[in-house]
Amino acid sequence: MIKPTLIFLLIITAGMVARAQDSRLQMSSLDHLAAKASQTVDVSLDERLTRLAARVLSDKDADEKAVKKLIEGIKGIYVKSFEFDADGQYVAADVEAIRSQLRGPGWTRLVNVTSKKEGNVEVYTLFNGDQIGGLAVLVAEDRELTIVNIVGPVDLDKLAKLEGQFGVPDLGIEQKKKNDEK
Amino acid sequence: MSDDYLWDKTGQPDPEIQQLEEILGTLRYQPKPLDVPRDLVVRRRRSYIPLLAIAASLLLALLAGGIWLRLRTHSDIPPQQALMETPKPEPPRTKSAPNPPVVVANNIKHRHRSASSAARDSEALEAKEQLLLALRVTTEKLSLVQKKTQIRNQHKVG
Repeated sequence: MIKPTLIFLLIITAGMVARAQDSRLQMSSLDHLAAKASQTVDVSLDERLTRLAARVLSDKDADEKAVKKLIEGIKGIYVKSFEFDADGQYVAADVEAIRSQLRGPGWTRLVNVTSKKEGNVEVYTLFNGDQIGGLAVLVAEDRELTIVNIVGPVDLDKLAKLEGQFGVPDLGIEQKKKNDEK
Repeated sequence: MSDDYLWDKTGQPDPEIQQLEEILGTLRYQPKPLDVPRDLVVRRRRSYIPLLAIAASLLLALLAGGIWLRLRTHSDIPPQQALMETPKPEPPRTKSAPNPPVVVANNIKHRHRSASSAARDSEALEAKEQLLLALRVTTEKLSLVQKKTQIRNQHKVG
């Protein structure tokens, strides 16, 4: 009786571990682009570093306070951005490696703007039940490829409050959410 | 009695042998079908080896996953620069101002603590810079998304 219970617990634990990692995108496949890029931004902040950063954010500065509130509960922020001097430095497979992960269960595409001239921009959110468990932004232009991945509960209210302060635009996410609820 | 009787049952039998044969003959093997009692419960020994193998495999997979995650997390953390303090040369001791050893020990402890806290502070500041950079890129890209969405909507309306 003990052994089947143990096996059951192991399976459940494995499932939970897998679920916790759901919203983290694997972006290491894009690392080779750094050699071709004229400018690269590579930010990799796990939960520990995010908390560490939150500790030094000032409570007196309104902007920093807002950021502090925004990153509460966030488990990681990962950004990879490559700017190239010429077209065609990355291939469709590079983008597909990310996009295929965003087709996984839980991810929902909020915005998708496709343009032959200006490339594609896509915004995805990961839902764990009713809660948002992650956000991903994919920008694929002729001379630029940017992936933003926020892991953890992204509070859209707090994000909305940041709009304007940090140049965060009003995406109308809240309105969309409310309309969907109706 | 001839010896042949004992060998192949030919010849004259000995009465003593015959008597013995009669007595022991009742114990002779008599073929009859196997009589299994109906109420007999056959218990099969259950083998736990496959279950144990599954459990061990899962445990190993979990361990391997844990190690892999740990290694990956470590590799994700930017390399930290240790703060190097070059020891200052000790001033020559004079009789008038001796340096008590207890004070020296406290200073070393304090120096270690301040060095580690300085390293932590520097790491925190670096993390803050990274965070702000990430948010800047994120907001910039979200702004781009908004612009493109607006342009598309205008095209639709037009």
